[in-house]
Amino acid sequence: MKKIGNRAAAVAAFALAGAVSLAACGSGGNGGSGTGPSGHVTIKVGCEPPKTQAAQRSFWVQDVAAFEKANPNITIVSDDTNPCDDPTTFNAKLASGKMDNVFYTYFTDATNVISSGQSADIQKYASQIANLGSLQPDLVNLYRQGGTSGGDLYGIPKSNYTLGLVYNRSLFQRAGLNPDQPPTTWAEVRADAKKISALGGGIVGYADYSAVGTGGWHFTAELYSLGGSMVTSDGKKAAFDNSTGMQVLQNLQQMRWTDNSMGSKQLLQYNDLPQMMGSGKLGMYVGAPDNVTFIHQQYRAPYANLGEGPMPGTGGTLLGGDGYMFSKNDTPAQIQAGIKFLNFEFLTPGAGQFNFARAKAAGQPVGLPQPNIWTAGSSVAQSTTSDKEKNATIPVANFQPYLQAAPNMTAKIEPPQAQAIYAQGDRVMAAVLTQRNPNLQQLLSTFASQTNTILANG
Amino acid sequence: MAVAESGPRTLISPAQRSRGHAKIVYWAVIGILIPLFALAFLFPLYWMVTGGLKSPSEVIQTPPSLLPNSPQFHNYITAWNDLGLGRLLLNTVVYAGGALIFQVVFDVAAAYALSKLRPVLGNVILFMMLAAMMIPPAVLVLPQYLTANSLPFIHTSLLASPWAIWLPSVANGFNIFILKRFFDSIPADLLAAAALDGAGPFRTLWRVVLPISRPIIGVVSIFAGVNVWKDFLWPLLVLNDPSSYSINVGLYHLSNGSPEDVLIAALAIASVPTIIFFLFFQRNIMSGLTAGGVKG
Amino acid sequence: MAAIKTIGVSGGRAGRAVAGRPQRRNRLAMKAQRSATGYLFMIGAIVCFALFSWYPMVREVIMSFQRTNFAGETTWIGLENYRHIIADPSFWAAWRATGLFALLALVFGYIVPFATAIVLNELRHFRGYFRLLVYLPVMIPPAAAAFLWKWFYTPDNSGLFNAVLHALHLPTSQWLQSPHVAMLCLVLFSTWSNMGAAVLVYLASLQGIPGELYDAAEIDGAGIFRRIWHVTVPQTRLILSLMLMLQIVATMQVFLEPYILTGGQSGTTTVVYLIYQYAFSFNNYGSGAALGIMLLVVLMGFAGAYLWLSRRVEEG
Repeated sequence: MKKIGNRAAAVAAFALAGAVSLAACGSGGNGGSGTGPSGHVTIKVGCEPPKTQAAQRSFWVQDVAAFEKANPNITIVSDDTNPCDDPTTFNAKLASGKMDNVFYTYFTDATNVISSGQSADIQKYASQIANLGSLQPDLVNLYRQGGTSGGDLYGIPKSNYTLGLVYNRSLFQRAGLNPDQPPTTWAEVRADAKKISALGGGIVGYADYSAVGTGGWHFTAELYSLGGSMVTSDGKKAAFDNSTGMQVLQNLQQMRWTDNSMGSKQLLQYNDLPQMMGSGKLGMYVGAPDNVTFIHQQYRAPYANLGEGPMPGTGGTLLGGDGYMFSKNDTPAQIQAGIKFLNFEFLTPGAGQFNFARAKAAGQPVGLPQPNIWTAGSSVAQSTTSDKEKNATIPVANFQPYLQAAPNMTAKIEPPQAQAIYAQGDRVMAAVLTQRNPNLQQLLSTFASQTNTILANG
Repeated sequence: MAVAESGPRTLISPAQRSRGHAKIVYWAVIGILIPLFALAFLFPLYWMVTGGLKSPSEVIQTPPSLLPNSPQFHNYITAWNDLGLGRLLLNTVVYAGGALIFQVVFDVAAAYALSKLRPVLGNVILFMMLAAMMIPPAVLVLPQYLTANSLPFIHTSLLASPWAIWLPSVANGFNIFILKRFFDSIPADLLAAAALDGAGPFRTLWRVVLPISRPIIGVVSIFAGVNVWKDFLWPLLVLNDPSSYSINVGLYHLSNGSPEDVLIAALAIASVPTIIFFLFFQRNIMSGLTAGGVKG
Repeated sequence: MAAIKTIGVSGGRAGRAVAGRPQRRNRLAMKAQRSATGYLFMIGAIVCFALFSWYPMVREVIMSFQRTNFAGETTWIGLENYRHIIADPSFWAAWRATGLFALLALVFGYIVPFATAIVLNELRHFRGYFRLLVYLPVMIPPAAAAFLWKWFYTPDNSGLFNAVLHALHLPTSQWLQSPHVAMLCLVLFSTWSNMGAAVLVYLASLQGIPGELYDAAEIDGAGIFRRIWHVTVPQTRLILSLMLMLQIVATMQVFLEPYILTGGQSGTTTVVYLIYQYAFSFNNYGSGAALGIMLLVVLMGFAGAYLWLSRRVEEG
């Protein structure tokens, strides 16, 4: 019932939207560059998959063509910048006001984007968003003013992840470990890493990031896994300058220097860990389930070798993800066209990112636990899940340890001003991983005071 | 190229050089330097080109292989096709060419005016332009960036457009300095003669001054091109759209998402055009650079 | 002053026939016309200088006293930005890193090219080969060269440098990851990729030294090193000091090397890198601007010396 109601509302809204945009054009008014004389709308949409991901790119191109055919008055211009969002330049680009009409963001960007005034308030058009009611409210709220359900809506989440432990099943086997039982505590991670690195031949037991913000990101994830928090509940002060924060650093320090199980190559970022995993030289690292398919596709590692375990520790796991927002310069017609496209590509079971039959036919991975943007138990969630299971192409069993632990994991969102804090966190991670005896307490205190400054300025 | 025994006397006299054991030492030094230079300057390039032919696992293999086991030529094809290097190189050529033209036109005109037309308050303007030369570019990137992002009064953004490279490049005090000094050295009589023939300032500049200024304009051009080619921080900030990336900025962004073997192939491809260009124009570029250096 | 004098030269001829007041009026009119033409010639350069040099300079000073929030609103906060950056532990670390880079760059980037030029200048064979090779790296796009070297510096034995050291049974290094070696790595890379230009400049100036000076020194019994010290160095003194200033000013602004090679880790966050971080990672334009002003003050000292030396080169 609820679903049908929503759909009816959406149809009505589309009809209305059409009328509005026609009217807007009729009055010859605020067309802007994107709206042509005959009600034609052109929108630039971010995060088209790059050419190096051939299958995903062809899906996108197909979808855009199908969408344009169904909506002859809308032209989609795709932006294939890769990475879609580079935290080191995102703010500069945002400040320049040169965002795509429908631009890609990490969850961590949303708050700053909203307060920068560079994105459009889409609350008016919320009723046009397909299945909005079935999206997890926590994810939607990230794109609301103030981060709460009462605020105006500024964007639409499209996918999410929670971190776990990516591990190499064949190395586990070789090291005499049970590949179906990845470690669930940091003590176990440490013990397993030691055994794996004892295999020799340049094999590293566990590895971690320490550059371009990824270090701070993993520090946060590991802090969460021990039950810690990056900031106080009011979001005004750092909350990690304590024994929990210390535990994160000590654990890394012991693995790196006492056990020598983290290898010598540090200052790693983004693709370094998947690449090491893909070349069979790495036992474990903290990563989301989609890393498994990425490693398989990009570095040709067989699925049989790869597994995903839960985030070690019992404190919780970091929740992240991405979505789209709308440029403040968008005309109403462009916003509505953008919503229509996002509905088509990201929010409809069986279509776009949820077109599992097509992905299967193309030999693409189907069956990943994420994205799971729908509220558990909703009909959309159920149809998506059953469709996914029906078309699964990857050995779902490899994700079993992760899935089993998931219901008991608290998913924690990232701190405010996350990217700025992460950039500072890199220094702590880099120091721990490249210096034998750094002053951990001092590193932590410095990081905390710098975080306080960032929070105060934000 | 240079024939032995020619040229003026340097640190070591020809007599000293031609003595028996000195000759041996001399050739021993040459015998050491030739492979040493090859090792220092050619071998890294060899390593780059062959690195681009290795497979992902060979790139990180210990110890590294001197020759690729089975050359992966498709790395180069992937790098060229999928990473859009052609676009990056073309963009950079457009930026360098445009910067060269704008600098030559605007700075020559301004330096000529300051040197020969001497307008009211010209000295103040000259002083301010030379003072700009003393301000290191890195200091000003923030306000420059904000200005380029939203020009005063007209509130247009130059970001991601070639103008963001071209216009700031004109604000180059060094150009004004060397051009004006050169124009100062042109005898007044020459210009007076042109004026007697009824030539206005523009025709004098075009017909009389420019033809004899070709060497100095060459120097300005070479510096303009090289500066754009080498610049990183400024284009990193202002070229924030992938279609506008210069080669340096593009490589930086590509480095995040590309497999290492393909990235190395991309580095090799990116280096080829300038090296070829340089081999062709070696003589001009070298003499231009040294002239600029000595005089500047 | 100078302007009037010039006009006297060319304007005088035209005005010779006319006497007294009309001549003066004529002169004024001509002067006005000349100024107008002059400004017409200068307009392009003036606009560019105003937009991208003069105005940003003023704006930098203003920004350093302001706080700018995400929405672009500004508030005056006096010296708060300066206080903030001085209290930031990264501040002194950045100056140390910058100073260390400049110092190491003097040892390598300054002496090595000069010595290379002196040796090359003595060679009578294969000159083209040497000049070409030493200049090759200059032509590689700097980002490409930096990524290449980053790969060479790989800290395990798959990296070129460690592989060579390992093969020679020498101790390997962590290179960019070692706080002790990282800065040296940046300088070595920087020297490799930039020394070609300096070598060519020195070669050109060495060729200008009159041979008789060496003859005279030789008659006085001076050996090679004394000849270098008493003839070569004094004769290239001006170019040497000029290059010294240019290099100090350039190395104090180093950005690409730490940005690409180390991401600012291992103690390589330089001042310009920190400016970039303040502005674009921490969204704190004001502190970035304040740090820029400080850098400017420091470099002004060097730049002043540079200008003074340029004058002397010009006169001499």
